[in-house]
Amino acid sequence: MRSSDQVECHVLVIGSGGAGIRAAIEASQYGKTVLVSKTLVGKGGCTTMAEGGYNAVLNQEDSCEVHYEDTMRGGAFLNDPRLVEILVKEAPDRMADLVRWGAVFDVTGSCEVAQRPFGGQRFPRTCYAGDRTGHEMMMTLKERLASTAVERLEEISVISLLSQGNSVCGALGLDRDGEMNVIAADSVVLATGGGTRIYDISTNSSSGTGDGYALGYRAGAELIDMEQIQFHPTGAVFPYDARGRLVTEAVRGEGGVLRNTAGERFMSRYDPERMELSTRDVVSRAIANEILAGRGTENGGVYLDVTHLPASQIESRLPVMLEQFLKFGVDIRKEPMEVAPTAHHIMGGIRIDPTCQTSLPGLFACGEVAGGVHGANRLGGNALADTQVFGKRAGESAGKAKERKIVIDEAQISLQQDRLDQYLNGEVNPAHVSGTLRTAMWEGAGIFRTGEALTRTLEVIRHLAGLRLHAASHRNLLECCTVDNMLTTASLVVRSAMIRRESRGAHVRKDIVQDWEPKNSPFGHTYLSIHRDGIEQSGGK
Amino acid sequence: MKTLTVKVSRFDPERDEKPRFETYTVEVNEGARVLNVLHAIHDEEDPTLAYRYCCASGQCGSCAVRVNGVPVLACMEEARDGMTIEPLNLPVQRDLVVDISPLITSLHPLEPGEECRMPPAETVNALKPLRSCIECLACVSVCPAVEVAKFAGPTAMRQEMRLALDPRDMRDRTTQAVEEGLFTCTSCQACWKACPKEIEIPGKAIEKLRALAHKKGFSLPRHLEVAKMIEKTGRSVSRTEPTFFERIEADVFEPYCEAKATVGFFIGCMYSHRLPQTALDAVEVLRRNGIRVVIPREQVCCGSPLIRTGQLGLLEMLQRRNIEAFATRGIGTVVTMCAGCGATLKKDYPSTPFVVKDINELLDEYGIEAPERLPMVATYHDPCHLLRGQGVSEEPRRLLSKVVRLVEMPAVCCGSGGGVKSGFPDEANALGEKRRKEIEKTGAELVITSCPFCEFHIREHTDLPVKHVVSLLLEGYREKDRKRNETCPSA
Repeated sequence: MRSSDQVECHVLVIGSGGAGIRAAIEASQYGKTVLVSKTLVGKGGCTTMAEGGYNAVLNQEDSCEVHYEDTMRGGAFLNDPRLVEILVKEAPDRMADLVRWGAVFDVTGSCEVAQRPFGGQRFPRTCYAGDRTGHEMMMTLKERLASTAVERLEEISVISLLSQGNSVCGALGLDRDGEMNVIAADSVVLATGGGTRIYDISTNSSSGTGDGYALGYRAGAELIDMEQIQFHPTGAVFPYDARGRLVTEAVRGEGGVLRNTAGERFMSRYDPERMELSTRDVVSRAIANEILAGRGTENGGVYLDVTHLPASQIESRLPVMLEQFLKFGVDIRKEPMEVAPTAHHIMGGIRIDPTCQTSLPGLFACGEVAGGVHGANRLGGNALADTQVFGKRAGESAGKAKERKIVIDEAQISLQQDRLDQYLNGEVNPAHVSGTLRTAMWEGAGIFRTGEALTRTLEVIRHLAGLRLHAASHRNLLECCTVDNMLTTASLVVRSAMIRRESRGAHVRKDIVQDWEPKNSPFGHTYLSIHRDGIEQSGGK
Repeated sequence: MKTLTVKVSRFDPERDEKPRFETYTVEVNEGARVLNVLHAIHDEEDPTLAYRYCCASGQCGSCAVRVNGVPVLACMEEARDGMTIEPLNLPVQRDLVVDISPLITSLHPLEPGEECRMPPAETVNALKPLRSCIECLACVSVCPAVEVAKFAGPTAMRQEMRLALDPRDMRDRTTQAVEEGLFTCTSCQACWKACPKEIEIPGKAIEKLRALAHKKGFSLPRHLEVAKMIEKTGRSVSRTEPTFFERIEADVFEPYCEAKATVGFFIGCMYSHRLPQTALDAVEVLRRNGIRVVIPREQVCCGSPLIRTGQLGLLEMLQRRNIEAFATRGIGTVVTMCAGCGATLKKDYPSTPFVVKDINELLDEYGIEAPERLPMVATYHDPCHLLRGQGVSEEPRRLLSKVVRLVEMPAVCCGSGGGVKSGFPDEANALGEKRRKEIEKTGAELVITSCPFCEFHIREHTDLPVKHVVSLLLEGYREKDRKRNETCPSA
């Protein structure tokens, strides 16, 4: 089925997390802007779940140079230096936008936005609103969005980008009833967020299924560094269904310590200088090692302890953590949490230039779906800043794009119609396919990787991709499309991981011995598109 | 793994006229949440089940549903065998999916000026509790006022207060809130109790906005009259018959048996001036159960009618006089029999040198002499300020069940609170009529409650007798005495 109404606009923004809404707000200054979201606007995505904070240089004693260095070093020098420079330089301005629009961050006695220390940073530059920083930003952005003329298409999922010649000119959406919606646009912003739901244990919301990577890839855009998956060191370990739920880095920022079952503060063996506030890749590996060495809890975690902090500090700075753990029977004021690594963020993504232009004309990308800003390991607090800095840039670039005459190519629509029809006649329960995929990814493309395990995982993905997914009704078509996106994203991750024959940042190849430090690595970005794949040699090419 | 059998409300707008229940039996992990049960049904039993969810960690507000009638976040509520899962009480689109988008988009955004600085810490601290809203709309789904009055609803008031507090906002939010029905809230507290983030909307937003509205001259004439009356007489209502204080001769009432405790008795305006017999009944019941009752005559209105309507001028004086009245007699426990007074003394007084207990709590705690059972069926109306304001619900039920058989009805506001009965009589009547229907459904012969406002108001909306718990207990005791005299007339 296809809706008779075709939506036409100047800018189409796909995704309603922090980056998507920021892009839409910006784009609306240039012409009719449509925000399409597979969830109710602002409820999907990971920004609203982001707890810890937003990095910005606000203090005279801090500097953009230091933020730049911290970010590059944290990212194992795989970051695109131009993007990092923009991130650190513009993060304070975008923070000022949020403050002007009414965001309620915690403040210092002198009415400045308060900042806390976060991992891998030499200055406490992480701005926060308790431990619901992302939620506070989303509330602010939604209020601002309501003051614009942006049109919302809620609970409509984009299943394909539309192109005209070699440029992107719109998208095809699927609503909850399985009806197709055609949206034509002079320019399109992909702000679909991440995709670590491809792992069994993940912090992501239900929308983190890698849709944007798959959409971009299928349309011909190039992606970089897709092997770089951040495993957040601290995810919940029980009950079973809550495994992977984020336990914010702010817990350690506020002074939380990690201990193994022997009571040892084991970070002293992995990073004696930075201890618990080392970078996430280092802390995750340390925890994983402790658990593998038999020094983990029965539930398969280590202890994260804040009981030495005053109860009032926990209540005011970590209220969400307190509430969530209480719901599961643990009072973090009195007993330690149990935590283990959880798939959190994809550092790689669609290749963008400083204007957020992708390799495809007409297509822009921002937020987690874009690659290059965070290199091989993202610093906590840099993602929220990323959403605002590059959200604004993408909205502006897309807004400034020229108006053009768009002719919708019916063949592309029939192709999608055929795809949907096949699902109606399919055989395999999509929930079972995604379950198998998640387990395979966790086992074969997790924190520690080998060429052999990656090859095996890719075989599993290819097998799953060959199955004929079944939609029980028109309203279930979307589930099939989503699982398809997950499979595509997983294959991009695994293929890139096979291509990068070194350990770098979050990507650890146990089967490869190397004699270089990240800074002197002979390799640059991995890249993948439907046209080519490979790895750049250091120096860019 | 464990096996759970649950009932789920299903509704397909193309096929069903109204929602129907389906029963499912599914396997879930230990510690599974309601959401995991929905996933299990969807993945293994019926893929057409429609429900919303996103973050699965209590932060996005997508998955609110009713479990056994109570709004919860499906992702945070532990799943239980035999539970019933229904959509929120909002327009249902399909199965558990309700139409919340129009409500969310109608919330007013901040209108920024040039000011680009954070407000001071005290403002931020006042704003923060109002900002933790995840827009799940559980509050709107339980609000009795939105169903019968022109009221934008609890979370809209939360947002207006959030804006009114913020120096960066350029609009007059007080006037806007009044236009949106600020004074139609009955202060029933249902929104607060339904909120997964426990945002105290009535106290932290609605009453605060009413105080701002009062300063701007928006107070309703009837509310101003009440304040004037309190200023003149110390009481919020006029006397219609000899008051409680005119009918008692002493200030101290000794118990009929060995004293278990001494309490100060806070009467409240309604029981003093309008329903004095009920207060006399209470004294009798307390004495019969070994409670020594001290009744300072200097006590005045608790201030509740002023707080609920935003008129705070006289408040400190009332608080001081009441505290002094009991403190100077060295009283350690003050007992209230009006739900509104009790909630006010417990929660709105900065601190009291005595403990405040509702009479149901007190009697339940000390234990009562068994009354005679009466061959009657009664239903109990939970006063909002007792149930939600003080968390007292089991105690009155235990007490009244000693006399009559109890049949339950849903705990919903009768419409008399928050100044609505005087300010918006039509709304109060509409809510009262809804109570009438619920009361009729129970088949009870008698309505028991524990609040003079409820007692007074429900009487206008039922043909059944409406009584306070203590009056019922006293009837049980009288019947006991009568029977005893019959069998043993010499005694």
